[in-house]
Amino acid sequence: MRAADRLVTNAVRRSGPWPAVLALASIAGAAGELALPYLAGRTVDSFVSAGSHVSARPAMTWLVACAVVVAGIMLCESAAVWARGASCAHAAARLRSSALRHVLGAGPAATRRFPEGELVTRAGLNAEEAGRAPESVTGALALLVPTVGALVALTLIDPVLTVTLVAGIALILLVLRAFLRATTAIAGGYQEVQGEIAARLVDALSGARTIAAAGTAGRETRRVLGPLDRLRRHGMELWRANASAGVRAGLVVPLVEVAVLAAGGLRLASGTLTIGELYAAARYAVLGAALSTALGHVGGLARARAAAARVAELFELPLTRHGALELPAGRGTVEFCGVRTPGLSVDGLVIPGGSVTAVVGRSGAGKSLLAALAARLADPARGTVLLDGVPLRELDRVSLRRAVGYAFERPVLVGDTVGEAIGLGALHLDAPRIGGRPEGGRLGDWRSEGGRLGDGRPGDRRPEGGRLGDRRPGSGGFVAFERISEAAVAARADAFVRRLPAGYATPLSDAPLSGGERQRLGLARAFAQGERLLVLDDATSSLDTVTERQIGAALTADVRGRTRIIVAHRLATAAQADRVVWLDDGTVQGHAPHHELWRDPRYRAVFQGGAP
Amino acid sequence: MKPLPLSGGRPARSLPLSRRRAVRPLLRRALLRRPYALVRLCLWSVLEAAPAFLIGNAVARAIEDGFVAERPATGLAWLAALGCAWLVAAVAARQVVLAVAALAEPFRDDLLTRVVSGALRHAGTPAGTAADTAAVTRAGLQVELARDAFAAVVTTVRGFVFTVVSVVLGLLTLAPAAALLVLPPFVAGLVLFLASLPALARRQRDFLLADERLAESMTAAARGLRDIAACGAEDHVGAGLAARVDAQASAARGLARVTAVRTVALAVGAWLPVVLVLAGTPWLLGGGAGAGVVVGALAYVTQSLAPALNGLVQGLGVSGVSLVATLRRITASAPDEPRALEEPPTSDGPPTSDGPPAPEGAQAPASLGSPRGGDVRLRGVSFAYGQHSSPVLDRLDLDIPQGDHLAVVGPSGAGKSTLAALISGLLRPDSGEIRVGGVPADQAPPSARVLIPQEAYVFRGTLHENLAYLSDATPGRIKAAMALLGATGLGAGLDAQLDAQLDPGALSAGQRQLVALVRAYLAPAPLVILDEATCHLDPAAEARVEEAFARRGGTLVVVAHRLTSAARARRILLMDAGRAVAGTHDELVRVSPTYADLAGHWHPEPVS
Repeated sequence: MRAADRLVTNAVRRSGPWPAVLALASIAGAAGELALPYLAGRTVDSFVSAGSHVSARPAMTWLVACAVVVAGIMLCESAAVWARGASCAHAAARLRSSALRHVLGAGPAATRRFPEGELVTRAGLNAEEAGRAPESVTGALALLVPTVGALVALTLIDPVLTVTLVAGIALILLVLRAFLRATTAIAGGYQEVQGEIAARLVDALSGARTIAAAGTAGRETRRVLGPLDRLRRHGMELWRANASAGVRAGLVVPLVEVAVLAAGGLRLASGTLTIGELYAAARYAVLGAALSTALGHVGGLARARAAAARVAELFELPLTRHGALELPAGRGTVEFCGVRTPGLSVDGLVIPGGSVTAVVGRSGAGKSLLAALAARLADPARGTVLLDGVPLRELDRVSLRRAVGYAFERPVLVGDTVGEAIGLGALHLDAPRIGGRPEGGRLGDWRSEGGRLGDGRPGDRRPEGGRLGDRRPGSGGFVAFERISEAAVAARADAFVRRLPAGYATPLSDAPLSGGERQRLGLARAFAQGERLLVLDDATSSLDTVTERQIGAALTADVRGRTRIIVAHRLATAAQADRVVWLDDGTVQGHAPHHELWRDPRYRAVFQGGAP
Repeated sequence: MKPLPLSGGRPARSLPLSRRRAVRPLLRRALLRRPYALVRLCLWSVLEAAPAFLIGNAVARAIEDGFVAERPATGLAWLAALGCAWLVAAVAARQVVLAVAALAEPFRDDLLTRVVSGALRHAGTPAGTAADTAAVTRAGLQVELARDAFAAVVTTVRGFVFTVVSVVLGLLTLAPAAALLVLPPFVAGLVLFLASLPALARRQRDFLLADERLAESMTAAARGLRDIAACGAEDHVGAGLAARVDAQASAARGLARVTAVRTVALAVGAWLPVVLVLAGTPWLLGGGAGAGVVVGALAYVTQSLAPALNGLVQGLGVSGVSLVATLRRITASAPDEPRALEEPPTSDGPPTSDGPPAPEGAQAPASLGSPRGGDVRLRGVSFAYGQHSSPVLDRLDLDIPQGDHLAVVGPSGAGKSTLAALISGLLRPDSGEIRVGGVPADQAPPSARVLIPQEAYVFRGTLHENLAYLSDATPGRIKAAMALLGATGLGAGLDAQLDAQLDPGALSAGQRQLVALVRAYLAPAPLVILDEATCHLDPAAEARVEEAFARRGGTLVVVAHRLTSAARARRILLMDAGRAVAGTHDELVRVSPTYADLAGHWHPEPVS
């Protein structure tokens, strides 16, 4: 918890003058609100007494005081609203930025610890809540000042009135608590039915083509909305609970006020209270009853602290450390030296530069782990993996990523457009990293370059595009486009990308992609990126036979002579590779050309037995 | 140069225009559709506003006629009356909430229906991409937000109107002179607030948009952490995220600025009358009113008017703005008025005994008549997915006579699935003509053909409901078809429990495909299109299914996943890079080198 508090305190301290403004404005405004009933009462009283005397000067003084206080309250309220929004925005943005930077630095390990949705909630909603900490603190203060002050003032006017009030407040709290208990149960039922409808809709959407072809959209809509009746029933129950509790809570404040008025009225009749004091007492009763809301703000502070704790946990993720070495000249030779990690032990395995190596083995044999280690997507518990003689751990991050391209079985495409998604690895690594967004504009350049891409929604471009606008039109953008389309051609993705509504400039969200197409874009991304080593982890599994053969051919005949490590299930891939690394149970069983290993019946069994 | 496609068949592109106008009728309909609830709401509101009318008068009379006049009983009686008014108001408030609920719940139902039917219709169109679970959840959340905001707006606006009327009446009966002091600054504050509303709405919308963009980017980054690391794109993605974080924060600050201005309006309307009443006290006293009347007038301002204005500011300024924003979002994503669905949904699950689905909506204009037979004719058909994209099909001519068995082969991306979608009428060609049984494909009723796509559709329901989705087959016929297609594994053995509940998530991809295949087999359609519908079956099961369909009668078009499918077909259509050649196996080997090359690799590969 202490780390979380520190986190919030730091974020607040760096959000400029806003938290201070908020605190000042809130407390001054609260003090004004507390003073006003007294001043108003005195004004009325002095005007009444001035009626019988000659001079109305004291009344005028009280009136001016009232006007000044009202003006002060107006000013403070407005300033507090502004400061509240601004300080929350500042603090949340600061927390969020550093949390996101940290998560990106931690890399895929972050998703191992927290599911994606959890990461987004922590960096999104929870950062927002944590940013509200100053608001909660000042909000509680701003409510406590008039509330406690009102109770004190009331007691000064008449202790009996305070007793009446406190009893009423206790009643409010009891009612609110009962309400909270009742709603959670009913809300649960409501959310369950909501979930049911959502699940039915997801089912139906997965069969969208079938439904469209069968013309049954209307029927499906009715089926999905089947539980609507139950939803409405739960909804009405929720409303009823809400209404009843609202009635009970809404009754107490006015009744307390009436009681205070009655008690005060009797004092007035007996001459111990003036009319102005009676008015003030009634107002103080209402202000004092706001105690329950003040407690709500205390709850807000607890929420903010809890949220901050959840954000702070993100910072506990270990960052991936990179070295500072650059790669020497080389052809992409990969060596495994004494590598031992749960699920895989490899020692003395050398994958020669420029070769095609297939990694085969039954599922669970450690193929993907070997691939991940070769590209430093994971680090071994012990031992070292070297690329052209340099341990991967000691390589500078940019040199490492520029050298290695990795294609996944299920790639996640990141970027605004299809073209940017392919260029994710290739286009941003050679730019100097001086803050800001490195090389954001390149793809924007080629947009106009390609001619056909002219209508790619300009409104969606971020301003960074303009930063590079003063470059000679063309050159950079054209090279980038060449590199991407060349990779797309090799991955057999170019043709279908060109058929998308805006070709390479089609926003990813508007591109309906099948699993196979996604895989080919992932391949293209790796092809465009890796300068020395390509790692393909089952990256052609969703492709039909024809396309896979074409890509296989492109891979074997890679003009740039990069080292290729291909995790594969199919016999043809192993047969076409220069050498095969045969894994079983986390150890290397053989490292030789396919036709040599083929003599071993256990090797042959890898391709014949087992489930597909 | 290829001429621009003439058809404007991209419905999703022209949506935003209709957004603005769509919100108002939606709200009007929600309010007026249940006049009874509206009347009930007004009647209870009158009672709820009773204390607002009484409070100043009761306080003034209690002081003047009671406590000051040394008749405490009279004073207490007035206060007791006020207390009773509060009790009545509390009961009325409860009824008001229920009356608002009676408006808000149907409103939610309307929106949900609209979202669901919109999502289903949109997903079937070419522009539609299969929405993910998150999008569905988001849509559900929008509907809930809209419902809550709607209820809040109705409650506060109504409360404001009734309270203001009550206060005005109360002030006029108490001291008309006081009304002159209270109402002008109050009206000024109100006008100021209403004037600030458009700017506030704009800022709120900007903020919602920026917040949503940020959430989208964060989700994308979290999902792609592994890929971002592999691509070394941490800096690039991080900078993009930072830009969105900043944009969101600056939108939040902009909103705070406008909200501060709004607060000034509130202060003018709620606080200025207090000062004016105090300043006017000598004048009121001079007019013969007692000090109690002044206190009563102050009570009207502080106890009724100020809270009502505050409620309105919250209600319109927060809920109202968010209501409009969410409604625009909902109407943009689901533009169709759900007219056909206005009657409440009747039965749960699809009917099981009313035969092939009745044609719905615009898909079957009655005047065109039904197609005869299952022959397919394509003449000069061209199709591209966008104005600037290369054509998927280029002037394709093709005849598939009644009873033919055609296999479509070619590398992925060659347009096989597009051809299937064109024949089944899901897509319209940019130029050229497609006729199924003599009727244009996009106007043929759904019963004219069955399309089974790669992703089989299985819904939560019984096995029987799933299998008889497109037909009125008897249990006997269903079981026979299951046996024929090798789908008996779906139930336990041959005497499969047709009334067993299916959980789509628990079935394997292959089992789901078998469900879809049996369903298609039973359908009375004369044309069956299998679009890689057997890709998750093993080769033997695939062969069995295709042979069963070949013997079923009618026309069969198989988009082949494996080349072995082609060997079983009577004719083959080879598609590659926008061109297509049709013929028998022997013909194609002779005329197409690509095909000859493919044919050389037909032997099924062993897989690990």
